[in-house]
Amino acid sequence: MAYTNYQHWKTTPLGDTIVPHLSVIIPAYNEAERIVPSIGAIASYICDLGFDWELIIADDGSKDNTVALVEELGLANARVLRAAKNGGKGSAVKRGMLAARGRYRLFADADNSTPIEEVSKLLAKVDGSQAPRYDIAIGSRAAEGAQESNKSLLRRIFSGGLRMMVKYVLGINVRDTQCGFKLYTAEAAQRLHHAQTMMGFSFDLEVLYLAAKYGYTIAEVPVSWIDAPGSKVNPTKEAKRFIKDMAAIKRNDWRGAYAS
Amino acid sequence: MTVIEEFHPDYLTLHLDGRFDAHETPQVRQSLATHTPKNVHINLEKVTFLDSAALATLVQAMKNCRERGGDVVLCNMPQPVRIIFELTRLDKAFKIINTVHDATQH
Repeated sequence: MAYTNYQHWKTTPLGDTIVPHLSVIIPAYNEAERIVPSIGAIASYICDLGFDWELIIADDGSKDNTVALVEELGLANARVLRAAKNGGKGSAVKRGMLAARGRYRLFADADNSTPIEEVSKLLAKVDGSQAPRYDIAIGSRAAEGAQESNKSLLRRIFSGGLRMMVKYVLGINVRDTQCGFKLYTAEAAQRLHHAQTMMGFSFDLEVLYLAAKYGYTIAEVPVSWIDAPGSKVNPTKEAKRFIKDMAAIKRNDWRGAYAS
Repeated sequence: MTVIEEFHPDYLTLHLDGRFDAHETPQVRQSLATHTPKNVHINLEKVTFLDSAALATLVQAMKNCRERGGDVVLCNMPQPVRIIFELTRLDKAFKIINTVHDATQH
């Protein structure tokens, strides 16, 4: 039965009249080596859940053959959003979230570092199957019960320092803003990503800041996370940019750029 | 991921359990390099995910075994693993068998 669901999803387009229950958005920059196994794992698991869904690969101007590789898979319910140039992970997620049609919209990193099986815990927080119902559910490597594997000492220090700053400088009451596994209702995704101005590493931070400002409720859900080799995060460079962006978020807000 | 080796006169069986990714490929490569088997049966029943590094390790193992006149046989593929093999088209390259028992017939 489960494999039949996958075969159906792979070969039969949903059509314009059906609203997918879930959109899965994978931002991708030069992911030709890693993305196909992740697509396989995602397709297998989500098809098992038995609802209509779509997959969106939001390319970020890849210079390798990521786009061709995904298109050649010939998946009826997968779309590739092409980008002429590299605009940053935030720009890819933004394009994906705004192009998505699903009632719920998940973005997940291309390396499956948060195993896709974790999406069920996030869905339960936003779809009403578990009270209270939230607008946003975010995967967290810092919440109680989370499991991190293979994370380097440098990345642990980097993450811990940033968590403290986020809490005390921006007042965001979320322990892990950066996990690449977040689920939004369609309404929250549209509003937040429309207002998003940051396109680099700190876009998550801005979106969560906006979510709190606009009054959306956020569930922080502990997930397992496996640091995949080949991570494109440069801790030193990104820490500097992150601090700069925190200041930019406060400045934007003071200037009224986030007025609702 | 855990790797359990099971020795037979004509082949080596590796029982893999967990996420088979770039962090775990060295132990599989080490096992294959140590025993240099002609035939290898790999039981994937408890594998939850394979990444491209794991796939590359299996392809290299297949090449090595075929150079020795043997082969790699993959057994007990769970659905996510089967779909990953289909999407990467590696299902055409490997001998894939339903059970470890069936693999002994090859």
